[in-house]
Amino acid sequence: MILDLERFQAKERPYWNKLEALLATFESRPDRRMSPAEAELLLELYSQTAAGVSRLAHGAVAPELSRYLERLVARAYAELYYAPPKRSELWHPRRWLRVFTAFPEAFRRQSRYFALAVLITILGSAFGGLAVRYDPASLDVLLPADYLRNPGLRVRQEERGKNRHLDSAQLEAAFSAQLITHNIEVALLAAGLGVTFGIGTALLLFENGLLLGAVAVRYTQQGFGLFAMAWLLPHGAFEIPSILIAGQAGFYLARLLLRRREDRDMRGAMREWLLLIAGLALMLVWAGLMEAFFSQHHAPVLPYGFKVAVGAAELALLTLYLLLIGRKQTGRKQPSAIGRESVPTESR
Amino acid sequence: MKDSQQKRAATAAELTVATPEGVLFRLPLAGPAARLYAMLLDIAIVLAGVNGLGYLVYWIFAKAPGFGVMAITLAEFAIGFAYSALLEGFWNGQTIGKRLFHLRVIDESGLPLRIEQAWVRNLMRVVDALPLAYLVGGISVLSSPIMQRFGDRVAGTLVVRETPLSVPTEGAWNEQKYNSFTGYPAIAMRLRRAATPQLASLIQDALRRRNELAPYARREIYRELAAYLQTEISPFPDELVEILSDEQYLTNAAGVLFRDQRPVRLHNR
Repeated sequence: MILDLERFQAKERPYWNKLEALLATFESRPDRRMSPAEAELLLELYSQTAAGVSRLAHGAVAPELSRYLERLVARAYAELYYAPPKRSELWHPRRWLRVFTAFPEAFRRQSRYFALAVLITILGSAFGGLAVRYDPASLDVLLPADYLRNPGLRVRQEERGKNRHLDSAQLEAAFSAQLITHNIEVALLAAGLGVTFGIGTALLLFENGLLLGAVAVRYTQQGFGLFAMAWLLPHGAFEIPSILIAGQAGFYLARLLLRRREDRDMRGAMREWLLLIAGLALMLVWAGLMEAFFSQHHAPVLPYGFKVAVGAAELALLTLYLLLIGRKQTGRKQPSAIGRESVPTESR
Repeated sequence: MKDSQQKRAATAAELTVATPEGVLFRLPLAGPAARLYAMLLDIAIVLAGVNGLGYLVYWIFAKAPGFGVMAITLAEFAIGFAYSALLEGFWNGQTIGKRLFHLRVIDESGLPLRIEQAWVRNLMRVVDALPLAYLVGGISVLSSPIMQRFGDRVAGTLVVRETPLSVPTEGAWNEQKYNSFTGYPAIAMRLRRAATPQLASLIQDALRRRNELAPYARREIYRELAAYLQTEISPFPDELVEILSDEQYLTNAAGVLFRDQRPVRLHNR
């Protein structure tokens, strides 16, 4: 059956025009809630237009008109079923300060993924350490950079300050920014590679552990254990945990994607993932500053014992922060009964 | 009808949304090319902004260039991520580039995207940009039925095309005063009965796009359509057809198909 298009358009056009005008006023001021009368009018016009869409769908008669009406219905649908957050609430400083307590809470809720990240890193470093210990030939493969293979040379250069490109606070500042951005990028990659069902995340963590283990064993073997500790701990105390948290976020994401679509609480999950990222990014800012301004100064200036003590203190503070700040509840978050396909019930 | 829907799905991907009221509507999805152009434009804007900021920063930190480098490196990094995330979050799924190319990011359910979705999909760019030139993201878009890159898959978002539309104008057959085909009601009825919706919309499109077609193309298309109708569907008398141009023939046929019908019940509630 072919629809009488002309009659149809003539009859319905006033509704469409009215709906379009109404939508334009709503869309121009997203922060305002509509009045009950406006909502009722919108609903009525929406139903009327939607009925038109259904009628047109039965014959491929007027593709342009259908497209126009479908767009109109889509816009009305968005207005009816979605309430944007109020801007005044969004810019409230307390909302942003909440990150500092919400981050450790999220960390504790998802602690089993953190444990998995730690486990893989330990496996990696054990592998790297044992390889260097029992098969010195593997050094060339495991530690690509020359300076890592030759601790003695490196330590002498570092202590004399010869190899230091950093002779002033100026350059240290520039260096710190590079470290921060690079580290955050690597961490984001680890967290994002959760989309490979965690395989990419696991590989990245394993490789990281491998390097760590190989360097640690190599430096200890040659009698530079204390130097390496003092060199790495002041920033490593924040850097290594933050990479582990990135792994945690990656595994969390992987687990989420392995769930059935109906069982995912995407809204809560995204918040959780973003909280972990925000927290680790802040940690990496601190780590970058420490690495550039503190870790690069060696024995004559800063005694190794002092550097190790600073690193240990940082680690202790970080542990206390992650375990104690925020609400005490540590139970895992139950997946919400509301699946992602379900219809949002909120309305303006 | 099924046929035509399938064909359309093959040429342009669509998202079909079913509302709780049982209404179905479709949104056209944006292809990788348009998204790439929008992204390049956004990148250009960010680079220009960061460079402009750079001059300011170097001027402020003239005495301490190292701190200047630090400030600009951190600012560049932060702006790179925050530009898209903030704009999409607060501007209903659009950045400047997306706005100019008529694209919009929305939730998979057809609703506007939320702020956390904007952040997730933009932070996931780190993965989509791997290993170079958004190769991973591009493959993901091309292999996804709703053209999602990995960031979109995780955030539950997609990018739709929003070419501006206005109410379509009515066809030429409505302006026409006299339709000679109505003089032959039996043949006209036959045409109306035999015409499938596809054929009807083909005639309608051919007439509506009159001015978009090159003259020779128009002549050929109209000639073939008119010949087809005349020989296969509704043979109007030769003495009438001879004095009509092919275009006039089609206009008349469209008039028969789309006008002069008994009123259809508009409200069946």
